[in-house]
Amino acid sequence: MLKGSNIHKSFGNLEVLKGIDLEVAPSEVVVLVGVSGSGKSTLLRCFNFLERINEGSIEVDGQVIDPKKHKLSNIRAEVGMVFQHFNLFPHMTVLENVIEAPMIVKKMKKADAIVLAKSLLDKVGLADKADVYPSKLSGGQKQRVAIARSLAMEPKVLLFDEPTSALDPELVGEVLSVMQQLAQEGMTMVVVTHEMKFAREVADRVIMLDEGRIIESADPVTFFENPSHERTKQFIQLVD
Amino acid sequence: MELLQTVWDVFLRTYPGFLEATLITLKITAVALVLGTILGLLFALMKISRSKILQTIANLYITIIRGTPLIVQIMFLYFGITSLIVLSGFWAGAIALGIHNGAYIAEIFRGAIQGIDKGQREASSSLGMTRSQSMRRIVFPQALKRSIPPLGNQFIITLKDSSLVYIISVPELFSMANIEAAQSFQSLETYLVVGVYYLVLVMIFTYLLKLYENKLDVDK
Repeated sequence: MLKGSNIHKSFGNLEVLKGIDLEVAPSEVVVLVGVSGSGKSTLLRCFNFLERINEGSIEVDGQVIDPKKHKLSNIRAEVGMVFQHFNLFPHMTVLENVIEAPMIVKKMKKADAIVLAKSLLDKVGLADKADVYPSKLSGGQKQRVAIARSLAMEPKVLLFDEPTSALDPELVGEVLSVMQQLAQEGMTMVVVTHEMKFAREVADRVIMLDEGRIIESADPVTFFENPSHERTKQFIQLVD
Repeated sequence: MELLQTVWDVFLRTYPGFLEATLITLKITAVALVLGTILGLLFALMKISRSKILQTIANLYITIIRGTPLIVQIMFLYFGITSLIVLSGFWAGAIALGIHNGAYIAEIFRGAIQGIDKGQREASSSLGMTRSQSMRRIVFPQALKRSIPPLGNQFIITLKDSSLVYIISVPELFSMANIEAAQSFQSLETYLVVGVYYLVLVMIFTYLLKLYENKLDVDK
């Protein structure tokens, strides 16, 4: 569904990604972990073309994407992204946030977009907040709206960039449970998170990044119980 | 007390003419604001565009306008343009003020647009919007709202700056005050009266702006 080969990315002289190979199968849930600065967020942003890679290639649904030839907006419409700081549109109500992209990008009729948006808001448990502005929502509610907004584009893959890191601890659960539900429904997901419980319970595969390289890639049981790399062991001890 | 009395006398004697002149001041300000806003938007867009040529043109305009006195611009435009086409003092003054304002308003818009969190643009492009779609639908509406307080400020400055067109004999408020002061020899009283005219206009303007800002806050 999503495949990165030999991805290199530098910011100035700093090489953040040093040759990443990662293939995500349809309906697979991959959790990326690693200390800060290991390059996990950058990798996610490369998959969404918010960052241009310096070397290597990215395939979406079997098609190699060349930023020079393809219209990136079309590709991004298929690869959704949920951000740490939600990035909801503050001048629009919750409903308007969700119907915006289907209407503007997919030229969906407003009435159809509203039906779609209401069902998605219902799914994330916020049907009653449709006409509220984002400033009136809690962090957990904002992130659930952001998820609904991404889902409205019916993406093939959904990327999560530390979706619960900006939340108060008591609000983390509601977001994770929505994500878990999506995983069970077969959504292909790549998740950068520090929530190890989520990684254990929901991930099909956990990947450890260290200094721009993948050093461990295993199913959650193996990853947490029997990691092969010393750095992974240290990391697990640190966060668990 | 005596001063108050003579000020009051001057006020009573001058108000028919001064009110008429106030109307001209308001008209010239309105034209300058409309023109300034259009130019400001245009040059702000040029400045944030990806074209080096457009950026350079915008920078040049802003540098020249901000780097020279308004009164020089008014004179330059008046004598410059009227040597080419017939233009009344009113229109020469209004256009000069508009061009002057455009440079400041361009900076207000540019600042507001660039002040929008880059996460907004990232979120809209991650949803598949093109650059222009995300500008139009996401960035501009928020930037416009953020521009309103500094724009209001610029509007007040323009209202007061419009007094400078007295130099090309537009019969606006300050011109009338000059004439009145010269004829009556009551300079102190006359300028006091005309100062109050400006003060009241600015206060009304500020009040209306405040109402509008409050309304925007409620809307959100």
